[in-house]
Amino acid sequence: MDKVKVVGLKKSYGSNEVLKGIDMEVMEGEVVCVIGPSGSGKSTFLRCLNLLEEISGGQVIVDDYDLSDKKADINKIRENIGMVFQNFNLFPHKTVLQNITFAPIELKKQTKAEADKQAMALLERVGLVDKANAYPASLSGGQKQRVAIARALAMNPDVMLFDEPTSALDPEMVGEVLGVMQDLAREGMTMIIVTHEMGFAREVGSRVIFMDGGYIVEEGTPEQVFGNPKHERTISFLEKVL
Amino acid sequence: MRINKKLTGFMVLLVFLFSFAGSLAPAPVNAAGSGKTYVIGTDTTFAPFEYQDANGSFVGIDMDLIHAIADNQGFKVQIQSLGFNAALQALQSGNVDGVIAGMSITDERKKVFDFSDSYFEAGPMMGVAANNYTIESYEDLRGQRVAVKAGTEGATFAESIRGKYGFALVTFDDSSQLVDEVKAGGSAALFEDYPVLAYGIQQGNGIKTVTDKEKGGSYGFAVNKGRNPELMQMFNQGLAELKSSGQYDEIIAKYLGSADAASGADIDGEQAAPQANRLELIWQSMPAFMKGLGNTLLYTIVSLVFAFILGLIFGSMKVSHNKVLRGIATVFVDIFRGIPLLILAFFIYFAIPQAFGFKMEIWQASVLTLTLNAGAYVTEIIRGGIQSIDKGQMEAARSLGVPYANTMRKIVLPQAIKVMVPSFINQMVITLKDTSILSIIGLVELAQSGKLVIARTYQTFDVYLTIAVMYLIVITILTKIADRLERRISRG
Repeated sequence: MDKVKVVGLKKSYGSNEVLKGIDMEVMEGEVVCVIGPSGSGKSTFLRCLNLLEEISGGQVIVDDYDLSDKKADINKIRENIGMVFQNFNLFPHKTVLQNITFAPIELKKQTKAEADKQAMALLERVGLVDKANAYPASLSGGQKQRVAIARALAMNPDVMLFDEPTSALDPEMVGEVLGVMQDLAREGMTMIIVTHEMGFAREVGSRVIFMDGGYIVEEGTPEQVFGNPKHERTISFLEKVL
Repeated sequence: MRINKKLTGFMVLLVFLFSFAGSLAPAPVNAAGSGKTYVIGTDTTFAPFEYQDANGSFVGIDMDLIHAIADNQGFKVQIQSLGFNAALQALQSGNVDGVIAGMSITDERKKVFDFSDSYFEAGPMMGVAANNYTIESYEDLRGQRVAVKAGTEGATFAESIRGKYGFALVTFDDSSQLVDEVKAGGSAALFEDYPVLAYGIQQGNGIKTVTDKEKGGSYGFAVNKGRNPELMQMFNQGLAELKSSGQYDEIIAKYLGSADAASGADIDGEQAAPQANRLELIWQSMPAFMKGLGNTLLYTIVSLVFAFILGLIFGSMKVSHNKVLRGIATVFVDIFRGIPLLILAFFIYFAIPQAFGFKMEIWQASVLTLTLNAGAYVTEIIRGGIQSIDKGQMEAARSLGVPYANTMRKIVLPQAIKVMVPSFINQMVITLKDTSILSIIGLVELAQSGKLVIARTYQTFDVYLTIAVMYLIVITILTKIADRLERRISRG
C-alpha cells in the first residue's frame, strides 16, 4: 500500500524553479534514501512532504490525505509524519523529557504521567534514559539527534522524514544516530532519508533515489544505483563521493 | 452637584433660622443670594492670581479677593481649580456659578458671559535684569533681542513696537523661562503682563522694571450670560467696599509688593522680599515632587503595560505570513515611531477632541500618547526578538503538528523574551523620561511639579537640579533591578 505518493511535484522560489516535476511512491515499511549533489533539491523535496515548504504545483498524498488540497488539516496530517532535522532543533528552554512530551501533551491530550512514561520508553530505545532531565545545551551532537528522533517518534507517526540527520555531527557520533535509524528501519518504519552517508544508504535503504537539478535522475535498489548506475550524472556523482 | 444642592438647601435653612435671631453682622446688602454657596471655577496656575502654595492650598489675588468679597457680602464660595479653558466650559454648562481666573474682559467673551466691574488693570510691561543699567527705555532696545511669552499681551505689545524700535523677538512658553533668558543674558529685556512680572519681582526673581506699564486689558469676574445676577451684584458691591476700606490694596500689596502696585506705579527689585532658604524651599516642595514622581512612575508603568499588549499584537502581525496584517503593523509602527512624542501629545489632547467634538481628560491623553509611542517601539522589539529565534524552532514544533499560535506562545516567545529583556529595560527608561514631555499638556508628573514650583518661586536652578537628581536616582534603581532580573532570566 502507498504511504506516500508524489505526482508532478513542482516548487519554485520566485522565478527559480527548484523542483521541476517529481513523481514517486513509497510503500509501507520502505526505507527510501535520497542522494544527490547539494542544490539538487533533495531537502526541498523532503520538506514538501510535510508542507514545511509550500507546494507550487503537483500533488503530494500522504496516508490518503492530499496535502496539496487547501482544505487539508495540515496540523492533523503532520502528527502522522515525523521529521528529524540536520540541526536537531531541540527546544533549548525545555529538558530532554519536556522536549519529547511537549507535542503529545499539547496535541494528544495525554496526561503528563502518560506522556512521561512514553517518553522514558523512547529514551530507553535511543539509549538516553539518564539524560531525561538534562537541557539540550549539555548534550553532544549525537545525543541531541537521538533525542530529536525520540521526540518525533512520540507522536507515533506512520512516516519518518530525515533531513541530512548526520551532516552536522562529528564523525565519531554518526554511528550512534545511524544505529538508532537502522533499528527503526528493522521495526518496519516507513522512512524517507536525505543523506550523504552512502554506506548507510547501501546497507539500510530498500530503495535509493538520485536527484539532480530538480529531477529524479535515477532510482532503484541500492545494488542497482550503487553497483550499476545507468545515468551519466549518477556515475559522476558517485565517483566523487565514494 | 446633588450634594451641592443639599448643602445649599441646608445653608439657606440655616440663614433663615439665624435671621430670626437678628443679624448682628454688618447687614448683607443683598438678601437674595446671601448665605448661599456658589461654586467658583478658576485656573490651575496663574501666579499671582491663583496658584498652589507650598502646602498645596490655592492662594493668589483672585482667591483672596473672592473670599474677601464673599465674607463682606455674606455668601460662601467653593473653589474648583479646573484650568482656564475647562473653567469657561464649566461656566457655560452651568457646572460652576462663576469664574475668576485673571480673565481679560473682551468683546468676544461679553457675548457669552456677564462681566463684573474690572478688579485689576493689567497691561504689558518691560522688565530687565536687576543688574542691567544700559536699558532704560524702549529706545535702548535697538539691535537687541527681547523675550516674550506666547499668547500674552506682552507679546502682542512687543510685536507692535518692534518695527519702531528695531529689536528682535524670541518667544517662550513659560514666564520663568523669560526670566531665565534675560538673567542669562540671552535677551536684553522681556515683555510680560504686568501682574505676572510684578509678582516675580516680589518673589526676588532678579528682574527690575524701568518703564511704565502700558495700557492693556482689565480683569473681570464672569457669570454665564443672564444667570446669577445677584452673585454679580454682590461681587461688584463687595469689590467697591473692599476698595474703599483699603482691604483691596492690602491684597494686592500682599502679592505684588506694594499697594501702589495695583496701578503699576512703582515696582523694582530693591523691594524684593528676602528669598526663602534654598534648602527649605526644596524641602517644602518635596511632597509635591514626590507626588509628581509617583505619577511619573504610574504613567510609565500603565503605559508600558498597554504598550506591551499593543506590541504583542502588532509584533505578531509583523512576523505573520499574511501580507495585509504585516502591512497594517508596519503602518502602525511607521506612524507612531515617526511622529515626535510632543506633536503626538498635542494631536491627541488638542486636535482630535476638537475635530470630533468630545472631551478628553489629560490622563487619558497622556496614557494614550505614551502607549502609542512606546507600543511602536515595543512592536519592533518583539518583532526583532521573535525573528532572532532560529526558524528551525518553529519548523520543529510545526512538523510535530503543533499549530502556529501555540508554537509561537510556547516555543518561540519564551525564548524570544530573553532576547528582548535588555531592549525592554531600555524602552522603560526612555518612556519614564518621555513622561516629562507630557507636562506640556499639563500632566502633573515630576517635571510639571517642578515647573509649578518654579512658577511660584522662580528658583529655576535649585528646582531643576532636584528634579534631575530625582530622575537619575529612580532610573538608576530601576536599571539595577532590571539588570539583576535580566541575569536571572538569562541564567534560565
